[in-house]
Amino acid sequence: MTLKKLITSVLCMTLATTVVPSAVNVYAAGKKEGEPTKMTLILRGGSYADVLKAALPQFEEENNCEIETLDMSFDDLHTGITLDAANKEGTYDLCMVDGSWMAEFTENNVLANLSEMGYTFDEDIIPNTTTICKKDEDIYLAPYFGNVTVLLYNKANVEEAGYKPEDIKTLEDLMNVAKAEKEAGKNGFAYRGDTPDNIVSDFLPVLLANGGWVVDENNQPTINTPEFKQAVEYYTELIGTGMAMSKDDVSASIDNGSSALAIGWPGWYVPSADSAANYMVSPTAVKEGAETYNTSEYGTWCLGIPANSPNPDLAMKLLQYIMSPEVQLESVKNGGVPCRYSVLKNEEILKDYPHLSTVCDALDQGVYRPAIAEWTEFTNILGAEMGNIIAGTKTVDQGLKDAQDQLENLMA
Amino acid sequence: MKKQSAKRQGCKALFAYEMTVPAMAVILVMTVYPVIFTVLYSFTDYNYLKGTYSWIGLKNYKDLFSNAFFRQSVWNTILFTLIAVAVEIVLGLLLALYVNSLKKGKKIFRTLVLLPYLLPAVTVALIWRMMLSPNYGIVTHIIEDLGIPSYNWFYDMKTAFGTILVIDIWQNTPFAFLLIYACLQGVSESQKEAAAIDGAGYVQTFRYVVFPNISGGVALCAMLRTIDTFRLFEKVNILTGGGPAGSTSTITQFMYTYGIKTLKFGFASASSLVMTILVLVLSAGYVKKAISANE
Repeated sequence: MTLKKLITSVLCMTLATTVVPSAVNVYAAGKKEGEPTKMTLILRGGSYADVLKAALPQFEEENNCEIETLDMSFDDLHTGITLDAANKEGTYDLCMVDGSWMAEFTENNVLANLSEMGYTFDEDIIPNTTTICKKDEDIYLAPYFGNVTVLLYNKANVEEAGYKPEDIKTLEDLMNVAKAEKEAGKNGFAYRGDTPDNIVSDFLPVLLANGGWVVDENNQPTINTPEFKQAVEYYTELIGTGMAMSKDDVSASIDNGSSALAIGWPGWYVPSADSAANYMVSPTAVKEGAETYNTSEYGTWCLGIPANSPNPDLAMKLLQYIMSPEVQLESVKNGGVPCRYSVLKNEEILKDYPHLSTVCDALDQGVYRPAIAEWTEFTNILGAEMGNIIAGTKTVDQGLKDAQDQLENLMA
Repeated sequence: MKKQSAKRQGCKALFAYEMTVPAMAVILVMTVYPVIFTVLYSFTDYNYLKGTYSWIGLKNYKDLFSNAFFRQSVWNTILFTLIAVAVEIVLGLLLALYVNSLKKGKKIFRTLVLLPYLLPAVTVALIWRMMLSPNYGIVTHIIEDLGIPSYNWFYDMKTAFGTILVIDIWQNTPFAFLLIYACLQGVSESQKEAAAIDGAGYVQTFRYVVFPNISGGVALCAMLRTIDTFRLFEKVNILTGGGPAGSTSTITQFMYTYGIKTLKFGFASASSLVMTILVLVLSAGYVKKAISANE
């Protein structure tokens, strides 16, 4: 019995000696003098994060800090930021934010007010890209990576279809090229058919060219409308000339010539003068003589500071450093697409990266997805019903009616 | 004397309680507490980001069962689980019998068969996505070289569900193999020899000697695979995102898309409880079988 009591006492003591010092260490953990400050950044993985990471070593050296970065997928980034937002002191010092999350984030105090922290936009930043970054007159985000939808095309395939790239001005032209390439045994138009969000993003430029949009001025859904129906009918015919693919396959198939056209983003592909593919602003009208619209859909990756950032002052310093014209100019060499005229119109830069001229035009006239807190849910519903229409499990009329009904419930 | 014995019994009981306290504490914190809160949240409109919630009764459950995407996800999950578990058990059993019968190379074969199971599900999904890519996929190239038309495996309604099913079976058959192979080691050679002396053939020996000995293990394997397959998420999320047209959507994928991504944790809690009940119903038969086999 004595032995058992002894074992019990030893176990209890072991538990106490492991738990108590750990707890004490957690609370006592503070920065010693001269020790580098630890910062954590949560970023959108891929080229967007890579470009930013390339600029960090100099900042770390100048500011005696160590920066850890977390590369996330689109959905995981959103979830990661929001889950951390509930903590009194957060984990992240700087976060990458998609413009479509802005309303949800500001409504729930996820982001710090950058204006109050002393941040301002200079005149060099493309004004249209800053619209989504502000609530009233207060700045919450800074436009970092000028992501905007463009029309990706394979040069040889377009030529084979009897077109010059600059001649693809309308959706009618787009369809002609896609059909010609389909007849030539290739994919006319490649599209992303996986998540609801990607289905919607791919489709929006076509909807815009048809004069339609997903919500009205009161943020009520406008899905079951003649313009929307016309756009969906056109889109289903267009994608019938190609096939659904993952993001990597879309850019690879345009580059290797197995597909002719696709809606893409500058972050996917960096063309050079002699590359097989290039991109241009997506068609702005249905056909020649028809009304033209802005059809470039913004997907700009912005930078923000979480309201519960553990090092807000240093985070602001880092934000200002990353957004500075010099660092942004340098980022082009790593595949960056700054939202700055001084970079996108720089003659020296355009010699090596001529596609940035197209990006600049697209950024100048881009359209933001609706700034509504329900956008994530909105795209889930709309994308799922679009998926049903594309797969043929619902007619266009039924799919649009179902989407409209569900979205009206959501926005009620 | 009696008094001393009673005291000893009491001390023993106390010691047993003391020893189980740490485990009970961990179970209470890690399992009981989240389960209670999941049940409570399922009756609220709790939104994680807003941090507010109010009691809404059965609304989440009503919304869930009136949601066509959820009904489709439930059907997909049940169908997927039934097919995957059945095929994995049959293949695992055949492989185990084959390896067990080998005179040489057992260790090498065992290791090779186990390899897919050692990979994380995310890695498996990415490997298969590369292999089946319409642009650079090795499988696509081989099929095309053979003159067979290639499919758009992950984005075609006709093939998406089947493709994910094949990938899951490929990865998890080794688990069934391993468990059944271990059970086979416990089958007495003397029983087999006696059956052979009585003139039993291979099939009869398997049916009347081997299978009764391993049936408890097979039932356990089926139960574990059912529970695991019901939680299928990574492969679907990476390869198809639940599409096309929800044909590959599972309950966990639905929960992620409509509950977690939108931070509607009340709704997500309701769907997770429905999933738990379904798993319990589906695995009840196996549990009964495993218990009776042990008795």
